[in-house]
Amino acid sequence: MQHGNLVHELLSGVAPEAVPEWATILVTAVIGVSVLVGLVSVLAMFSVWLERKVSGHIQCRYGPMYVGGWHGWAQSLADGVKLLMKEDMIPLGADRVLFVLAPALVLGSIFGAMAAMPLAPGFYFADINLGVFFILGMSALTTIGVIMSGWASNSKWSLYGAMREAAQVVAYEIPLGISLLAPLMVAGTFNLLEASEAQSGWFGMKWFVFQNPFLIPAAVLFFVAALAETKRAPFDLPEAESELVAGFMTEYSGIRWSFFFMEEYAAMFLMSIVGAVFFFGGFESPFTSLAEWAFVAESGADGVVTEAAGIFELPLLYHVTAGTVLAAKALFGVFLMMWVRWTLPRVRIDQVMTMGYKYLTPLALVVVLATGFWELILS
Amino acid sequence: MLASSAVREYLTNVWDGVRTTLVGMRITGRYLLQKPITVQYPDERLPIPDRYRGIHYLEQEKCINCLACARACPIDCIEMDAIRHGKELEWVSFTLDYQKCMFCELCVYPCPKDCIHMGTEFAYVSFDRSEFVHDLLSFKGMAPDAKVRMREAKEKKALKEAAKLAAKQAKDESEGNGDGD
Repeated sequence: MQHGNLVHELLSGVAPEAVPEWATILVTAVIGVSVLVGLVSVLAMFSVWLERKVSGHIQCRYGPMYVGGWHGWAQSLADGVKLLMKEDMIPLGADRVLFVLAPALVLGSIFGAMAAMPLAPGFYFADINLGVFFILGMSALTTIGVIMSGWASNSKWSLYGAMREAAQVVAYEIPLGISLLAPLMVAGTFNLLEASEAQSGWFGMKWFVFQNPFLIPAAVLFFVAALAETKRAPFDLPEAESELVAGFMTEYSGIRWSFFFMEEYAAMFLMSIVGAVFFFGGFESPFTSLAEWAFVAESGADGVVTEAAGIFELPLLYHVTAGTVLAAKALFGVFLMMWVRWTLPRVRIDQVMTMGYKYLTPLALVVVLATGFWELILS
Repeated sequence: MLASSAVREYLTNVWDGVRTTLVGMRITGRYLLQKPITVQYPDERLPIPDRYRGIHYLEQEKCINCLACARACPIDCIEMDAIRHGKELEWVSFTLDYQKCMFCELCVYPCPKDCIHMGTEFAYVSFDRSEFVHDLLSFKGMAPDAKVRMREAKEKKALKEAAKLAAKQAKDESEGNGDGD
């Protein structure tokens, strides 16, 4: 079983002898899944609200202002209720099984990818030693769902959208993976917790981008590739609303459509988490160092606090600080993606392909090579 | 030579891509921090020019039911009805059909009492066509002060008549006395 999973350990400690091991694992899994579902839906609702506010203010408007009182904070909630109430339509010519399955696959794979996401030092759902590859693989699986939805819709717009998604993901999966190789070389691990741990020191500022100059272009490349990977403007060709109605989502309505939407925002957050962990220090920041100094005397290799410091005896506060720091970094990444979206117009499909194959991929290779040499020379 | 120029073009493209994106983001970032220029419409409104031609308003006390505005209207959308009691008017209706009205302001100029005006209200929305036949009257029947004026006039008249009667009687009496002499 996963070592150090706090929920599991807690359950094992509380449960009587008669309760078998698999039961506690099952309960842990159920708790993990419910937390993930809640996290993803709240995150998606918050991100939609943030997107509308950011886009509004960039265009000198206010965005939502009424629902809920303070700056329309409950707008997404109202939208969610509306989407639940909407008629659930399946086109006559559609492949019903695939049509229904596609949104579930899209959302399910992003849930799966999020399982490898750390929440705080020692708090995670699955401790996978190939964490990044698992996340990239699972989030690439959403493409299958998108292609499924495009094919099953029996609509030319949907199919165009799906084909574009396929071409785009094939083109950008490569630079995404390669640009991540650079920080992986510096970290020497695929595990997100260990990578974050490798950046502790320098009073919380020993981030990978500050350790190696070639990681700055690598971060930019990763950001661009992540934009394309999550189908965000200027690379939102699969759903290009001015050309393809809504691309692969054209025939979807109501809650099924909102699954695609939730997936998009969850994927944005996930990519931002990966970027934050492998380039910008993960849990590490001056605040985290301060909290660690105040609350932690000794911790295990995986970040679990084994002995609290004598000052306050509140090791949980350290976890909360670290988790908040990572979430803030990831949300800043999400905000950056929104900023880019409302700045740049959508590019043509041939420009997307040119950028992926002719620019991003070779540049990522050069950056990886340079990072490798830098690491070799320094060590 | 050829290779180096191709390399230079490639690197220029990369640099241009990064630079132009940053320039664009600087501009949108400036807008992001700026105060929005829109107003929250039903709560706040932009000032409307004084000579704006919106929904009419009527100074009913001044109106004399002369039909000048209705005659001036090129599409006959004004209709009015009032019952005359001597000098005072008992109002029945003064309707404008906003399905027809083109807000030309021609009804305003001929008014001898300067009592019909174009207002600043422009949002006239309804689910029912019949609601666009809008009654401009602020009250039906007679104005309260018109009633007072009428009562005063009646009382005055009655007083006058009573005084007249009294004078006549006095005169009759004095004449009778004179006769008696």
